[in-house]
Amino acid sequence: MKKFLNDPVNFVNEMLEGIYRAHPEVTYVADDKRCMVAANRKPGKVGIATGGGSGHLPLFLGYVGDGMLDGVAVGGVFQSPSAEQMYQVTKAIDQGAGVLYIYGNYTGDIINFDMAAELADLDGIQVKQVVGNDDVASSVVGEEHKRRGVAGIFFVYKAAGAAAAEGASLDEVTRLADKARLRTRTMGVALSSCVVPEIGHATFSIGEDEMEIGMGIHGEPGISRKKLAPADAVVDEMMDRIFAEQDYKSGDEVAVLINGLGGTPLEELYILFRRVSLLLEERGVKTRHVWIGEFATSMEMAGASISILHLDAELDRLIGAAGNTPFFKHIPA
Amino acid sequence: MNTITASDLIRLFEAWKTLFAEEREFLISLDGKVGDSDLGITMSKSFAAAAEAVTAEGEAAGIAKLLRTAGATMARTAPSTMGTLTATGFLRASKALETADGIGTAEAAKFWTAFRDGVAERGKAKVGDKTLLDVLDPIARSLEEAAASGKSLGEALALATTAAEDALEATKSLVAQHGKAAAFQEKTVGLQDAGATVGVFIIRAMRDFAA
Repeated sequence: MKKFLNDPVNFVNEMLEGIYRAHPEVTYVADDKRCMVAANRKPGKVGIATGGGSGHLPLFLGYVGDGMLDGVAVGGVFQSPSAEQMYQVTKAIDQGAGVLYIYGNYTGDIINFDMAAELADLDGIQVKQVVGNDDVASSVVGEEHKRRGVAGIFFVYKAAGAAAAEGASLDEVTRLADKARLRTRTMGVALSSCVVPEIGHATFSIGEDEMEIGMGIHGEPGISRKKLAPADAVVDEMMDRIFAEQDYKSGDEVAVLINGLGGTPLEELYILFRRVSLLLEERGVKTRHVWIGEFATSMEMAGASISILHLDAELDRLIGAAGNTPFFKHIPA
Repeated sequence: MNTITASDLIRLFEAWKTLFAEEREFLISLDGKVGDSDLGITMSKSFAAAAEAVTAEGEAAGIAKLLRTAGATMARTAPSTMGTLTATGFLRASKALETADGIGTAEAAKFWTAFRDGVAERGKAKVGDKTLLDVLDPIARSLEEAAASGKSLGEALALATTAAEDALEATKSLVAQHGKAAAFQEKTVGLQDAGATVGVFIIRAMRDFAA
């Protein structure tokens, strides 16, 4: 393991201290650095909270800010934050209009967010939940409720965040977040393992010349492991699965997110996007929004994921709206 | 006693606290066989915190508020799965006893039915999955029957405890489906479920308290 560390035990807290020093637009509540909230909160706005384990930056806490999220609770590397931390964030961000939780489909996160919602309910705070499950590779069609949430949750944040910024009600923000969730699909591919700092060695081993299609962002097993193919062939296989899930017609519009898992250069992500763009073009599908970079990583894992959001008019407007957070800034053209 | 009053309830939490402090090592070793050994720590910590919180709150708060305080305190002190499930149980029991002045047989039935339903919903388990739910379900059913047939609280809790003990024994033949134990599958056969053991401890102490 080659990492910039002091004591691995302090990995998360020292990372957070760096973030608070760099970004005064975020702060924390309950005297707990793992309970991050936006420094400025708008009265009457629906609050949006997320949470999950550390080790995925910019997910989760990188998206707290204007037009996106209001608060986030983070846990240790790949560990859920506690119900208490989520509850503290909920209390801090509620502006009387209720709070929407958006997080990925993982057992620990679900149980703790459910508990936090129950504690908030005792305080009279209305909470709704949308649980991201965009990872096509993690379960078959018909069993979508078993799918994991990965990088595509970015689109759910974006749609919900923009709707809340426009002043939509909790029901309306929830409806739009859920619509974005249902229309987003992600496929990932891993080329190397992540290393959890406190463990100190690779989570899994993979041959120099191998790739694993469909691997999860914590190293969960994927669909198939095989010899690394040329980039275009890898994209073709991933996009085949995404296209198979939704009925794309000529003239349809999409938003595309090409996400690096932590150890893949930006150049390679553009090589992947080149092919994605060509495949969409072949089908007559128009690419309305594109983001390429690191959005949901897995420590130093080499690899990438492709997320496609099948747009409609209202999602197009929300995805294109302004956003300003420590890790994501968007100015509408 | 025929009714557990608010001041009794505070003492019952003290009894649960003492019990889980005594059983801490036993639960650690039981859980250690197919889990991560933290159950004894989780339970002793969460009941100690809950007992302290309800004592601080005082009997004037009433049954529902005391149960709510206990549940909320547990949720904060022990953010592990069993801690969260137990906390949910007490929070749901609090809602079910919103207007109750005391816990007689009918209220005990409502208490445990709500407790069971909360744990089932939160844990997403079914009866037979080798979890806490396997003892909560017979407890709730037994108390509902006892309430329908007008049994005294002492008698009702004694019957419910027996039903729970039988159900705990029966978990030995089951294969774990949830939590870290699920990874051990067939190796869990022959072992009583650690979570279900906690359920038996809770009802047993309640029985002894009301005797």
